[in-house]
Amino acid sequence: MDPTSIPSYPVNEFGPLMKGLVIGGVGILHVFLAQFAIGGGALLYYFERLGQRGVQDARTFVDGYFKVLVLVSFVVGALTGVAMWFTTIQVGARTIGLMVDEFHWLWATEWVWFSIEICAGYAFYRFGPQLDDVARRRLLALYATAAWMSLFWINGILSWQLTPGEWANGGSMWAGFFNPSFWPSLFFRTAVAATLAALVACILINTMDLPRDRRAALIRIASRFALPMAVMPLLALWFMAVIPSDSRQWLMGGSMPMTMFVGVAAGASTLIGGYALVGLFWKRIYINGATATLLLALAFGATAAGEFVREGARKPFTVRGVLYSTSLTPDEVTRMRDAGAVTHDPYPLRDATRYPTEQLAHGAKVFRMLCDACHTMRGANAVMHLAHTWKPDQMRMNIAKLQHTKAFMPPFAGNAADVEALVQLIRWEIADAPAKWPITQVPPEVWQWLYEAGTSPGGAE
Amino acid sequence: MWPLSSNANPVWLSLYLLTFAIHVVLVGYVVAGTAYALIQALRKKDDPIAEGVRDRLPFMLGLGITAGVAPLLFLQLLYQRRFYSANLILGPRWGAVVPALVVGFYALYVAKATVVPRLRKLALATGLACFVFVAWSWTEINATMQDEPAWREMYAEGARLYAQDMVVPRLLVWLGAMASGFAILAAWWARAVDYRRLAIIGVVGRLVSALAVVWLWRAGFTIDDYNPSIVTAAKGWTYVLACALVAELAGWAWMYRSTASSALSLVTGAGTAALIAGVVVRESPRLALIEAPRAAALDAQGIGVFAATSLLGIASITWIVRTIRTKKD
Repeated sequence: MDPTSIPSYPVNEFGPLMKGLVIGGVGILHVFLAQFAIGGGALLYYFERLGQRGVQDARTFVDGYFKVLVLVSFVVGALTGVAMWFTTIQVGARTIGLMVDEFHWLWATEWVWFSIEICAGYAFYRFGPQLDDVARRRLLALYATAAWMSLFWINGILSWQLTPGEWANGGSMWAGFFNPSFWPSLFFRTAVAATLAALVACILINTMDLPRDRRAALIRIASRFALPMAVMPLLALWFMAVIPSDSRQWLMGGSMPMTMFVGVAAGASTLIGGYALVGLFWKRIYINGATATLLLALAFGATAAGEFVREGARKPFTVRGVLYSTSLTPDEVTRMRDAGAVTHDPYPLRDATRYPTEQLAHGAKVFRMLCDACHTMRGANAVMHLAHTWKPDQMRMNIAKLQHTKAFMPPFAGNAADVEALVQLIRWEIADAPAKWPITQVPPEVWQWLYEAGTSPGGAE
Repeated sequence: MWPLSSNANPVWLSLYLLTFAIHVVLVGYVVAGTAYALIQALRKKDDPIAEGVRDRLPFMLGLGITAGVAPLLFLQLLYQRRFYSANLILGPRWGAVVPALVVGFYALYVAKATVVPRLRKLALATGLACFVFVAWSWTEINATMQDEPAWREMYAEGARLYAQDMVVPRLLVWLGAMASGFAILAAWWARAVDYRRLAIIGVVGRLVSALAVVWLWRAGFTIDDYNPSIVTAAKGWTYVLACALVAELAGWAWMYRSTASSALSLVTGAGTAALIAGVVVRESPRLALIEAPRAAALDAQGIGVFAATSLLGIASITWIVRTIRTKKD
C-alpha cells in the first residue's frame, strides 16, 4: 500500500466542543435563516398581490417585512452560508471536497440563483416604494422564485449524502441528485420555510402601529402560510420510508438520543402546527408578539432537532457507502487495517512532549485520525467518559470490533498495534495522565478480534 | 492562450479568474469606499461622493460576498488539498473572517442609517477594521497554501500567522489597487466636478501598489523561483499590466484636468485591462501548484444546466437593472 495515496489533512481540536456541535451550531442557524428567507419571499409576493387588490395594510407590511428580511437574512443568513463552507472544511475536509468535486456545476447553478435572489432583493429593498405595481410584483416573484430554486439545488446535494440512490451503484450524477429522499426533503423544507415566514410575520405585524382589528386581519392572512404544516407528518413518514433501514432503526428507538431528537422535532412541530391550524386559522384567535416569538423559538428548536436527526441518520457515513465519518473510504479502511492508521499522516502532534511513552504518543495520533471527528477526550461525547468503566480487554475488544460494539460506528481503520496504543492512551487519560506509564505488548486476541470484525460496516446495508 | 493552455482545467480556471475579478471590483469598492467615507467623516466635510458611497456600501458588500462564493467554489476544484490544508493550519483565526464580515456588514448599515456623526465615524472605523482584517486573512491564506514545506512546522507549533514580511506588502498591493478601483467605479456616479479628487485617489492607489511591489521584491519575492515556462508567460501578462497602468495613469491625468467623459472611459477601459492582467499575474506563481483533476470532478455533469442558468441569470439581472431605472423619483 502507498500510504501517501490517502489524503491527509491537519486536524484541529475545538477544546471541549466536539466537531458535531461546531458544525451543528453554524448549520442550524444557517438553515433556519435561509428557510425563513425562502418562505419570506413567497409570503411577501402573496401580500403584495393582496395589497394591489385592495387589502388594507398589506403593502405597508410588505415594505416593513422586507427590511427585516434584508437586515437578518441577507447579512447573517448569507454569511453563515460562507461559514458553513469554512466550518465543513474544519470538521470534514474530504467530505466537502467530494461534494464539490461531484456537484460543482450544480453548486455553481445554485450560486447563480442566489445571485439573482440577492439582486432582486436589494432592488426591491432600495427602490420598491418607487416602483409601479407591476414592477413590484414581478420583482418579488423573481426574488421568491430564485430563493426557492436555491433550496431546490442545495437540497439535492445534501440529501445525496444520506441516500445517494442509484449513483452509488454507478449511476449518473443526476441519479444522485434526484435521490430517494430528494422530494420528501424538498417539500418538507418548503413547508418549514412557509411556516417560519408566517411566524416571523406574526411577530412583525404586532410591531405595526395599527389598531388591533387591522393587525388581526393581517395575522389571519399570514397564518395561511402555516397551512402546509398539516402535510408535514406525511412528508416526514415519506422521508422515513426512503432512508436506509439501519438509519430508520436509529431514529425509531435504536439510538435513544436520536429518538429523543425525533421526538423533540415532532413534538415541537405538532405544537406549532396545532396552534397555527386550530388557533390561528380555524378559531381565528389573535396571537400577540410574545406568543409568536415563543412559537418561533419552538420552531428553532424543531429545526435544530430535525437537522441533528438528518446529520445523525447518516452515521457511520458522511456520504452513504462512500466516506465514513472518519473521512476514510471503505477501501482505505481495509488498506489501513494492514498498514496502520497513522502511517500516512504527515503531521506531528502539537503536544508530543505531554506523552511519557512512544506508545501513548502513537495512541494520540490514532485518536486524532480515527476518533477526533466525533469525539473529544475529555469534553463533549468524551471517549474517556464512554470507556471509563471498561476493563482493558473489554476496551480492546470494543475498539477492535467497533462497528459491532455500536453499529453506527465505523470499522476501526487500523491494526492491532493501533488498538493497543489507543487503549493505553484512554487508560492513561482516565488515570489522570501520570508521568510514568508502562509500555504494553499487543495481546494476540486483538488480532483475532480485528479479523472477526472485518472491515464492513456493522449495521449499514 | 496562456494561462488557459497550462496544466489546469481551462473552464475551471477561466471561471475562477473571471469571477474573482468581479469579486475584486466589488470588495475593493467596499474597502476603499469605507476608508474614503471615514476620512471624509473625520474631516467633517459635506461630500456628495461620501454620501453616495455610504448609501451603496451595504449593497456592494452583499454583492461582493455573493460574487466571492463562485471563485471560492472553483478554487476548491483547482487547489483543493492546498486550500483545505491552509484553512486547517490557520484554524479558528482564519474562521474569524466570517464574524468580522457580519460585524462589518452591520456597521455599514449603521453608518448608512445614523445621523449622529460620532456613531457614523465609529461604525465606519469598525467596518474598515473588519474588512482590512478579512483582506489580510485572505492574503495570508493565499501565501500559506503555496508554502507546503512550512505546513508541518506551523501545525506543530500551532502557529496562526504566516510570514508577515511577505503578507503585509502583498496586502498593500491589494489595498492600493482597491483605492484605484474604487475611484473608477465612484467616478461613474460622481459629478464631473469631483473627477479631480477621484483622479488623485486613483493615482495614489497605483503609487501605493507600486511601492508595495518594491517592498515585496526587497523582501525577497521573485517569480524567477517558479517554473521557467510560467515565468516567461507571466512576464507577457506583466507587460500587458504595465501598459494598462500607463494608459490608466494617462487617463487619470486627463480626468484631473478635464471633465470629459472620454477620460473616464479611458480610465475604465485601462483599469479593466489592468484588473484582468493583474489577476492573471497574481495567479501565475500558483499555477504550477494546480492539482491533477480528480476523476469525480472531471466526470461531473451539469455544466449545461449551469450555462443555461447563467444566461437566465444575466437576463434576470439585466431586467432588474432596467426595471429600477423606471422608478419614480
